[in-house]
Amino acid sequence: MSQTHTTFRAAEARRRWIGGAVAILVTGVVFVLPFLFALLQASKTQADASTLSFSWPTEWQLWSNLVAVIQVRDYQLLLAFFNSTVITVASVTGLVVFASMVGYILQRRQSRWNGLINFLVLAGLMIPPAVVPTIWLLQQLELFKTLHGMVLIEIAYNLSFSILLYRAFVATIPRELDEAARMDGAKPWQTFFRVIFPLLKPVTVTNIVVQSIAIFNDFVNPLYYLPGKDNVTVQLTLYNFQSQFETQYNLLFSNVLLVTIPPLIVFVFFNRQIVAGMTAGAVKG
Amino acid sequence: MSDAALDRQEPAARRRTARRRVPYPYTFYIPAGVIYAVMFLVPTIASFYFALTRWTLFDSHFIGFGNFVQFFREPFLVQGLVNTLIFGISTSALKVVLGLALAVLLTSRIPARGYLRAVIFFPVLVSFIGVGIIFVSLMHPTRGAINVTLETIGIDGPGWLTTPWLALYSVIIVDVWKGVGIATVIFIAGIASIPSDYYEAARIDGATKAQQFWRITLPLSRPATVTVITLSLIGGLRTFDLIWTMTGGGPGFSSDVVASIIYKQYQSGFYGLSTAGNVVLFLLIALVMVPLTTWMNRREIDI
Amino acid sequence: MADVTIRNLSKHYGAVEVMSDIDLDIRSGEFVVFVGPSGCGKSTLLRMISGLEEESGGSIEIDGRDVTGVEPSERGVAMVFQSYALYPHLTVAENIGFSLSLARVPKDEMRRKIEEAANILQLGPLLERKPKHLSGGQRQRVAIGRAIVRDPKVFLFDEPLSNLDAALRTQMRLELGELHQRLNTTMIYVTHDQVEAMTMADRIVVLNGGRIEQVGTPTELYRAPRSPFVAGFIGSPKMNLFEGPVAEAEGAEVLGLRPEHIVVDATGPWSGDVRLIEHLGAEAIAHVDTPEAGRVIIRLDGEAEVRTGDHVRLTPRPDRMHRFRAGQRLA
Ligand SMILES: Nc1ncnc2c1ncn2[C@@H]1O[C@H](COP(=O)(O)OP(=O)(O)OP(=O)(O)O)[C@@H](O)[C@H]1O
Ligand SMILES: [Mg+2]
Repeated sequence: MSQTHTTFRAAEARRRWIGGAVAILVTGVVFVLPFLFALLQASKTQADASTLSFSWPTEWQLWSNLVAVIQVRDYQLLLAFFNSTVITVASVTGLVVFASMVGYILQRRQSRWNGLINFLVLAGLMIPPAVVPTIWLLQQLELFKTLHGMVLIEIAYNLSFSILLYRAFVATIPRELDEAARMDGAKPWQTFFRVIFPLLKPVTVTNIVVQSIAIFNDFVNPLYYLPGKDNVTVQLTLYNFQSQFETQYNLLFSNVLLVTIPPLIVFVFFNRQIVAGMTAGAVKG
Repeated sequence: MSDAALDRQEPAARRRTARRRVPYPYTFYIPAGVIYAVMFLVPTIASFYFALTRWTLFDSHFIGFGNFVQFFREPFLVQGLVNTLIFGISTSALKVVLGLALAVLLTSRIPARGYLRAVIFFPVLVSFIGVGIIFVSLMHPTRGAINVTLETIGIDGPGWLTTPWLALYSVIIVDVWKGVGIATVIFIAGIASIPSDYYEAARIDGATKAQQFWRITLPLSRPATVTVITLSLIGGLRTFDLIWTMTGGGPGFSSDVVASIIYKQYQSGFYGLSTAGNVVLFLLIALVMVPLTTWMNRREIDI
Repeated sequence: MADVTIRNLSKHYGAVEVMSDIDLDIRSGEFVVFVGPSGCGKSTLLRMISGLEEESGGSIEIDGRDVTGVEPSERGVAMVFQSYALYPHLTVAENIGFSLSLARVPKDEMRRKIEEAANILQLGPLLERKPKHLSGGQRQRVAIGRAIVRDPKVFLFDEPLSNLDAALRTQMRLELGELHQRLNTTMIYVTHDQVEAMTMADRIVVLNGGRIEQVGTPTELYRAPRSPFVAGFIGSPKMNLFEGPVAEAEGAEVLGLRPEHIVVDATGPWSGDVRLIEHLGAEAIAHVDTPEAGRVIIRLDGEAEVRTGDHVRLTPRPDRMHRFRAGQRLA
């Protein structure tokens, strides 16, 4: 009896290990090889890389390739990194603060405006931005081709998603906390910033991760609203290099590696917490 | 301040007592509301007017539905509309199926879960441009690693991005590859929030793994499914980056989608036509999403 | 110390009236308990006094000052919530001192007040902990501490002990009683636990369907309930309420008799079979079916030799009958 039981256990364990091995192998081929390819390409010499073959570099020169990419066009990539970082940090800060405020009131205060506001939130999620009229408006406001204009655009376009995440999470915070703070003499903004906002941390982390990656990697919006050299973002430089480096694949792939580093850092830091915020947020919808 | 009101020693200090405040003031809506209204709502509403004009950004010239007529008369524009639907629906469907499968796998007790989770999520971190660059090389018709590999086993690989009927589907595959990590994370969160009692009860009732999936996991991760469908469909119908970097809408116009057409018209200075494209895309998304979300939210399962 | 005077208070949500015609005088230093069935409006009344819920009509005076429409924090009241509502991200000391820091009380004074409250509640060693590392009883005390530092004229409690287990509840009940003696502040306390009401209250307010049924000391309510509702609500097991011939014989529509006021003796006018006996140790509760009065519940000595199925005769004590007509007590 216990004999068969243990063999059954052992068989199941073996099956699990085989399943795991297959999963590792398949995901390895599908998800890891393309990046390995990028890494190898970035390490090759120009002639070597131009064959596009998935092969070991004849000569490793990853470092000098990276340096070369940074030096291109008068260190344009550094400027791009600076611009992208400014845009990302400012937009995500704005998103976190403004969206959490909306999510809080929207969840707490049931009123006849809620229908309209929920509609606007969904509209913001679904409606494709009207690009040319936006350019026209930005020009009127003298925000076209400026970083602050870009920040406002990123906030406006990503607000809906953040609001939905926050609204769902606020529902998990008992209303008695707000009331206790109110009895303690907190004004509404003190209640929010001193009591509620700290408790939103899990979903704030999710917001920071998702939105900072999305905004740092954004290509379309800078393409439309930040044309020209002065305010290039990393994705724009990458796009421009794509045509410029037609023959210098090693540098092109070095560029891909470089611009992937910031999102990677964000991911490594917050990997564990992403799911936590989602559980209360996106999933309950 | 409020302490003074409580202080018994000096009742004289009980000057003005604050009348009842609104505990959840609408003023909290202001910053988000202003940005949203100015940067999003105004242009959106304006687009309905400008779509009906010939427009140079400096002056506009009302021409009625001319832009729309032109839009639907050009065969490649209609093709773009069809491509958009194909792209949106197939990427969304694939992300749901694969995302759910991967999530089930990653929430089961297999080894190296953390590693697998990270690997699947990794493409999410890379920008569309970066992913495009990698796959354009891999899918190169003669020198690309994919076809070179196929050749070693005797298959003559197609021109993934250069064959007109195939280009769109190649981009679809890459888009799913890049986005399946997000879908997986949402499904993992959904499955993690299913109380384990359900599985224990099912196991006591003698349900097999497959039955557990169809009877418990699938119905109870419905909210996650709705989220994944909604987000990926909206993203898919609005897609631009990947198409633009991988094919530029080509060969010819064979892989153009509405968003890439909008950009091309904009580049050529046809601002009215470009804006009309925007309105068309808006209507397309509304036509797909409104009935779909109403239907999906009709019977909600509450745990 | 402060009187609370409520005049003609009412509350409605939209068209639904949930409270009306509430008049109540609470004297300075009194411990008043609101009881009543679920949904009768206990919390609503308490929350209107606190200011968290807006008054729809009428007025509330605290310490001679009309506070109707005044912001909660400026009414001189403090509240302890059923779920304690401790701020999870703050330490015990920060929780207790939160109102002081909002009021920009100087650091020294703040520390002094927090320590004072902590001493009263024996929270000294826990000041640096977060709420999630506290037991239920300790959380309860922190919630009380948060109320104490505000030095309120009136304490409000909404079912503060209902999340605690039975033993802890008894202990906290005693602690609250001591606290009341020590601070001698007006306290208003909502519960649906009769024992809490009877043991803690100076006066009990019985609410029913958004109205006050009766206000009185526990003994008054027990001895002279003003309506069949109060008669049935106060006391455990419930008072027997008879209608029909038995009541008419006493000139009433409803006749009430507490289980301990019906005695078993050989010559009683009622007779019946014992259907069920609940033994509680010191006493036993018997359910008897009689042809005269229907189901009768009586309280027996724990040692009484009565068994299920026995035939017994019962005598109601005429001096302890409660007679009601048209929902009112007859003299
Ligand atoms: N926001 C609201 N909208 C409509 N009706 C409400 C609202 N809040 C409370 N009520 C109603 O008011 C009545 C009184 O509610 P209240 O919470 O004061 O009862 P309670 O005596 O405290 O009950 P319990 O013992 O269950 O806590 C109930 O009938 C309730 O349904
Ligand atoms: Mg209540």
